[in-house]
Amino acid sequence: MSNDIEELPEASSQPPLSERLKTPEGKTIIKVATVVSVLTVLLLIFCIWWPLISLPPTMSDTEREVKNTLLIFSIASAPVMALVWGIAYYSLRHWNAGSGDTPPEDGPAIRDNNRLTIAWVVGSSLLTAFLLIWGLAALTSTTTLPTDAKPLTINVVGQQWLWSFQYPEDGGITSNDLILPKDRPVIFNVTSTDVIHSFWIPEMGIKIDANPRVTTNTLTTPTELGMFNVRCAELCGLNHSYMETTGRVVNPADFEQWVKDKGGSPGMLVPLDVNKIEPKE
Amino acid sequence: MADTEIVSHGTAHAEESNGGGIMRRLNMWTGIVVGVIAAVVVYVIAAKLLVNPDNEDMAQGPDQAVIAAEVAWVIGFLVGVGAFVAPFRWLMGKDQTHDDEMFLAGKGQGVGRYLRFTTDHKVVGVQYLVLAMTTFGVGGILALTIRTKLATPGEGLFGGQIYNGLVGMHGIIMIVSTIIMVVGPWGNFIMPIMIGARDMAFPRLNALSFWTLFPVVPIFLSVAFLGGIPTGWVAYAPLSDQAPPGMDAFAVGIIMFVISSGIGAVNLIVTATTMRAHGMTWNRTPIFVLGVTATSVLGLIALPCFEVGMIETLLDRSQAASFFVPEQGGSQWLYANLFWIMGHPEVYVILIPAVAAILEMTPVFSRKPLFGARVAAMGIVSLVALSVLVWAHHMFVSGWAPTLAGPFMLTTELISIPTGMIFLVLIGTIWRGKIWTRLPMLFVYGFLWNFMIGGITGIFLSDVPADNELHGALFVTAHFHYTLLGGAMIGAMAAIVYWFSKMTGRMFDERIGTWSFYTIMVGFNVTFMAMFFNGLSGMPRRVADYDPQYLIGNMISTAGAYVIGIGMLLFLYATVSSWRHGPIASANPWGAKTLEWYVPSPPPLENFEHLPVVTGDAYGYGDPTSVHTSHPGVASVASVPAHTEGNAS
Repeated sequence: MSNDIEELPEASSQPPLSERLKTPEGKTIIKVATVVSVLTVLLLIFCIWWPLISLPPTMSDTEREVKNTLLIFSIASAPVMALVWGIAYYSLRHWNAGSGDTPPEDGPAIRDNNRLTIAWVVGSSLLTAFLLIWGLAALTSTTTLPTDAKPLTINVVGQQWLWSFQYPEDGGITSNDLILPKDRPVIFNVTSTDVIHSFWIPEMGIKIDANPRVTTNTLTTPTELGMFNVRCAELCGLNHSYMETTGRVVNPADFEQWVKDKGGSPGMLVPLDVNKIEPKE
Repeated sequence: MADTEIVSHGTAHAEESNGGGIMRRLNMWTGIVVGVIAAVVVYVIAAKLLVNPDNEDMAQGPDQAVIAAEVAWVIGFLVGVGAFVAPFRWLMGKDQTHDDEMFLAGKGQGVGRYLRFTTDHKVVGVQYLVLAMTTFGVGGILALTIRTKLATPGEGLFGGQIYNGLVGMHGIIMIVSTIIMVVGPWGNFIMPIMIGARDMAFPRLNALSFWTLFPVVPIFLSVAFLGGIPTGWVAYAPLSDQAPPGMDAFAVGIIMFVISSGIGAVNLIVTATTMRAHGMTWNRTPIFVLGVTATSVLGLIALPCFEVGMIETLLDRSQAASFFVPEQGGSQWLYANLFWIMGHPEVYVILIPAVAAILEMTPVFSRKPLFGARVAAMGIVSLVALSVLVWAHHMFVSGWAPTLAGPFMLTTELISIPTGMIFLVLIGTIWRGKIWTRLPMLFVYGFLWNFMIGGITGIFLSDVPADNELHGALFVTAHFHYTLLGGAMIGAMAAIVYWFSKMTGRMFDERIGTWSFYTIMVGFNVTFMAMFFNGLSGMPRRVADYDPQYLIGNMISTAGAYVIGIGMLLFLYATVSSWRHGPIASANPWGAKTLEWYVPSPPPLENFEHLPVVTGDAYGYGDPTSVHTSHPGVASVASVPAHTEGNAS
């Protein structure tokens, strides 16, 4: 793209590229391209480095999808950022007129460049189309239930300021910790008894608001054993920051044992309307 | 030539004795006195009649009393400041005399005119600048309080209730400040001169717009003494229904603010469309005028939705209506939609004027024509058009209409195309220019850095699966601070430095200004980079307490916030000291070509001796055949000196 920027309106009859690169303009292009490339490499290194130190562990297929998206989007943005910053930096270095009086001469009166404008708009449109297609594909895959396993339904109830979880397919047991079996899709039916909360598992990349009088849902498949956090992500009043609990992904056998310990029975369907849950004291 | 204008600040009081009329005795102070008396009287009566804790039928009494008192304050203030004198006289069949109009315009009144219902657009511009900087200072102090509390986990300085109240106050005060920070001062002060007009289309409406905004600030401050708001500035229902009476004050404040901005927006649109100089076609209109006009159109479309939402919230709270109460058939999603139909265009209302100011000064400091002026105009108009079609991306995780996630992802990602056009115009203008690194140009570079990061992180949030992870996390907070503080605020500061000499007749202290620029840039990037990382690792936003794993990021963030604070104090010092003692500025210290640089600094009342004639656009750098005006309308400064006087940093 930096090639186009150099092209002035009068550059109509063009000598071969090798000749043009030896002109002063050509040398400028090479220098700018170098700056932009170096910046791109630095930004790409940054793209690979930042997820390592910041993202939570991946515990579901959804979270894997989210992390891929974040990585792909940052890689796609790196050259764009490098291009803009590189050109701005190069201009500042090489055409700096100081900070004193008004520069005695003006720059060249370049008012526009149609080819560059078209290239830029087409380029950014293609990038946008790529982001959109990627996003729609990821959206479809994260909202589609896998067909190879029977999903587990869990009712999630938010209230000021705690979470409770009901297992209507396992005898209707209730828990304040979220226990999930590994590799089995889970559907969360989420509601609230008072104000809007937001049910968030950072390690699984899922979030859905808990609304009073409405049931919303989301789904995911836990893929790793271990502990995770359940947080509220919508300001819900005084103790919003303490509205969190922990959860655990366990083996299916351990899950059945846990259900029995809780007094439920695995697989026993209890018709529970998620909106008829009494608030706990 | 500038000296004579400075003196006009000081020649005062000579004409004040001519003619009587109550409006010569009214000013801000009488407004405050009448407003406070009205509020107290109304509150006492309302409390007597409406509040009875023993009567369950009167449960809404405290809310009704607070609403009545706040409305009484606004009306009382407007009466006391003299906003209704002229309409009242007109109603009585006694219209204003020419002397009265000249008095209203602030002729020969010295500093006192800044505290009156003055119609001169330049006075209104100064009033807006001072108000915006004051409210920005208040919002900044609140931000530092929040960051201080969050420096360490645990209960710390104060608990959740005070914290939530502070978050809401910080939010709304900053939103109001940033909405007015460019359009208020520079849309009013510079825009009419830039188009070759002697004042705005409706000078009295202009004064009314400012003096309706002024009483809003005490209303927002009163929220803190009425129990605060637990909701943040989004005021989501049904939490807003639980809130203490602070919520009522908040809603009245929003309603008055929207009225004020609507009055101002209509005025700006009419002025820019009908009062441009002879020969100033849209193609020859400076990009800043275009940006301010587009912003005003957008604000006029978007902000009333917030007003409707707040009126309905007030009815829910004070009259047991049930617009947003789910138990009685209301819908919290209705509120969320109303809010975000305002909420997303509103960020462009903040951003576009700052972008337009940056676009206006980049050619001046690159000594090159604006590259692709039509592309810039197209970009701005596309931003306006697209921004009203993207609101539901704030509701991706709300559960409302999941099938609309795809379409709203599409419209949101389309916004990156016009944003890309703005970047093309900026770097195209800088390319091969004579980069004159005065302070406004540093701010242009700061804008390029910050706004690029803000824009790219916005793309992450436009993607639905990624947003499911990042929504409601600190990542979002960092993202919009990069666009609104790092982008728009930096643009607004550039505008202050750039147009300071025109407003005050004195040059801005660029030495201290440069120190402040670097301090703010470093502090800003440290603060919000740390927030990005904490957000990515799962820290929610708007929490009063957090897990110890986020300690390091929060400490860095807090340290950075203090660095921003120091930078802002430096900028404030530079502004105040330059205003008082800065070297006298020439009419055109930057060698710029737009019309405001042809009139003296500061411009006289009514700006031009004769109306100017425009023959080309204002960006003819490097092209002697392209002349913006050969009849600038001001005889004394017809030949514009291209060199600055002193104060080179």
